[in-house]
Amino acid sequence: MINEITSLLKSKFPDSLLNVVSEDKRITLLVKKEELHQILSQLKDTGFNHLSDVTAVDYIDEQEFELIYHLWSHREKIRAIVKVRIPRESPTVKSVVDLWTGAQMHEREDHELFGINFEGNPNLSPLFLEDWEEIPPFRKDFDTRKYVKEKYYLEEEGYPVAKG
Amino acid sequence: MRKMGYLSDKFSRTFTPFGILRNLFRKPMTLQFPYETLPPLEGYRGRHALDLEKCAGCFICSMICPNKAIWPVEFKGRKYPQVHLGKCCWCQLCEEYCPNKAIKLTPHSMMVTMDKESAILGLGEEGFVPRHQ
Amino acid sequence: MDIEEKEIGFSTVPFGPQHPASGHFHALLKVEGEMVHELEPHPGYLHRGFEKLMEYRVHPQNCALVDRADVLDPFSCELGYTNAIEKIAGLEIPERGRYIRIIMAELGRILSHMTWIGVLSMVLGFDSANKIAWGDREKILRLNEIATGGRLYPCYLCVGGVRRDISQEFVDETSKALDYLEGQLSFYDYFVFKNETFVMRTEKVGRMSAKEAIDLGATGPNLRACGIDYDIRKDEPYEVYPKVSFNVITRDEGDAYARSLCRRYEIAESISIVRQLLNNLPDGAFRVELSPVWAAPEGESYFCLESARGEKCFHVVSDGSPCPYRVKIRAPSFLHTLSEFPYLAKGSTIADIPAIYWSLDSCPADMDR
Repeated sequence: MINEITSLLKSKFPDSLLNVVSEDKRITLLVKKEELHQILSQLKDTGFNHLSDVTAVDYIDEQEFELIYHLWSHREKIRAIVKVRIPRESPTVKSVVDLWTGAQMHEREDHELFGINFEGNPNLSPLFLEDWEEIPPFRKDFDTRKYVKEKYYLEEEGYPVAKG
Repeated sequence: MRKMGYLSDKFSRTFTPFGILRNLFRKPMTLQFPYETLPPLEGYRGRHALDLEKCAGCFICSMICPNKAIWPVEFKGRKYPQVHLGKCCWCQLCEEYCPNKAIKLTPHSMMVTMDKESAILGLGEEGFVPRHQ
Repeated sequence: MDIEEKEIGFSTVPFGPQHPASGHFHALLKVEGEMVHELEPHPGYLHRGFEKLMEYRVHPQNCALVDRADVLDPFSCELGYTNAIEKIAGLEIPERGRYIRIIMAELGRILSHMTWIGVLSMVLGFDSANKIAWGDREKILRLNEIATGGRLYPCYLCVGGVRRDISQEFVDETSKALDYLEGQLSFYDYFVFKNETFVMRTEKVGRMSAKEAIDLGATGPNLRACGIDYDIRKDEPYEVYPKVSFNVITRDEGDAYARSLCRRYEIAESISIVRQLLNNLPDGAFRVELSPVWAAPEGESYFCLESARGEKCFHVVSDGSPCPYRVKIRAPSFLHTLSEFPYLAKGSTIADIPAIYWSLDSCPADMDR
C-alpha cells in the first residue's frame, strides 16, 4: 500500500517531491512550497482523513521555518508526515481549513507563537497571550530569561546559573 | 409480558434504595484529620535535610535543580546550600546526583506558614532548620 | 388594543473561569432566552510556555517537570518524552523497566477516569457520586505514593528506565486495590450509569456523527463512541503492549452517554491489563545509568501514545547538545475544547453546556500547556 501511494504521488507531482522516505508504517515527504495544497488535497483523497498536528520549527542558522503536517489514515493505518520549508523574512502559506476544519485552531496557535501567516484562515486573533508587544515568543531570537529578569525581578539573587 | 417487566422494574426501583440504610453501620471513608492520619511512608518526598559533615560544597545540587531553588550561603566559614521551599518542585534530583549523599528528602510534609520569607530553610548545627513552625 | 411586540435580544453569559462547573477555562455564550447560539472559547489561563522552557533545560530536569503538562494523567507525558528521546538515540531499556512503566501508566489511566466520573457527577448535581468516586480514587493515589514518593506528580520516569524499583509491598497492595475497584464497578453501574436522571441528562446530548468527529479532530474515547476503532495501543503498539491482550471498546451513538460508557468499560480493560503484567513481571535491572549531561545525537522523532484523553504525540528535534532543540506536544484536549465544544454547543440549552463539556473530558492544563 505504501508503494502505491508513493508511486501515485511521484507520477502526479514529479518536480515538487524533493525527498521520500518510506518505513514500515510511515511515509515522510519533503515538498516544495508551491504545490503544497494540491499534495495535501491528493493525500486526503487517498484516505488520509485525520489531521493530527500542524507544527513549526525555527532554523535560525538557515533563516528558514520548517512547517510539518502530520496525517493519519484510518482505513490503512498508515502515518504520513509532510514537511515544507518557507523563508523566515516573510512566512506566508495557504491555509488548509477547507480540507480539515480542525486545522483552524492549530494555525491560529502557530500564527501567534511563530508569526507565520496563513492565507484563508477566517480568524487569526491571539489565543493565549494578551497585550503582547514583543516579537513572537517561540522564535529563537527571543530570550525568555533576559525578558523575565528585566520585567519581573528587582535584584539579583546571587546563586550560580544552571547548566544549559 | 411487557406489563410484568414494567411492574417488577418499578418494584425494584421502589424498594432497592432502602438497601442504602446498611451504610449506617459501616465505618466512614474519611479520617478526622489532625487527630488521625495515614502513616507516613519512608520514600515520601518531603522537607530537605542536610548532613554538614558530608557536604563537600560542590553545588551539583544547585546546578541540577530545575527551578533554581538552591543557592550558596555562608555558614561557619564555609559555603553550604540553602533551599527556598516556595520554588522547590520536590523532584529529588538533588538527592540523586549528590556525590556524597549529603542532602536528603525526609517524609516530613506538614509545612504551613503565613509569611513568604520564612519559607527559606535556614542552617543550624544539625543541618537544615525550619525558619517557620 | 394592540400589544406591542418586543424583540428578544441576545445577551452574553460568561461560562467563566471562577465557576465549579468549568475548570480553568473561560467561554462566552451568546444566548437568546435559554438557547445558545454561539460559543466563543478564551483559553490561556494556564499557559506556561512549556515548549519554549524545555529548550533551556537538560533531560533529567525536563523529565521532572513535564508531568505538569497534563495534571490529571501525568504518566502519559513522561512516557512520551522519554520514549521520543530514546528513539532518536536508539537506546535499549531493560525489560523490567518497560513492564513497570506500563503498569504505572495503566494505573494512571484508571485514576484519570475515576476523577472524571466524580467531576461529571458533581456538575450534573449528583454530589454523592462525586464523593464516593474521589474516595475510591484515594486507593490509587496511595499506590502512587508507595511506588514513587508523590501522590499527584510522580517524577518517576527518566531517560533510560525508571528511577526506583517497585517492592513486594507495592505488588500486594496493587492486587488488593484492583480487587476492591472491580467490586466497586458493579456498584457504579447501578448507582451512576443506570440512574434515570443521569441517563436523561446525557442521552442524545452533544451528538456527533463519525464524519464530523474525524473532520473536527476528535481522538480517544470521543471518537470511539462514534463507531471508529482508533486505539494507538493496537494500531502502532509501543513498549510491552504487543504482549498483553485486551479489547477496544466502541459504541455507535456518538452522544454523551456513549462516551461515558466507553470510559467505564475502559476501566475494566485497564484492570485486566495490570493483572496480566503483574503476573509476568521479569527480574533484573530496571535502569540504564546515564550522566546528567548526556546528549542525544542529531535527529528528530515523532512518538504517539494513547493517553486517557486521546492521542498524545511528542515531536522532538535534537541537535547534539544536552538540551533539546524543539519539543512539541500534541495535546488531545486542544482540539476537543476549541474545535468540538463550540460545534456541539450550538443549538443546545444552557443547562446542557456542562454536560457536553465534561463528557468530552478535557483538561485545561493539557489544552494550554
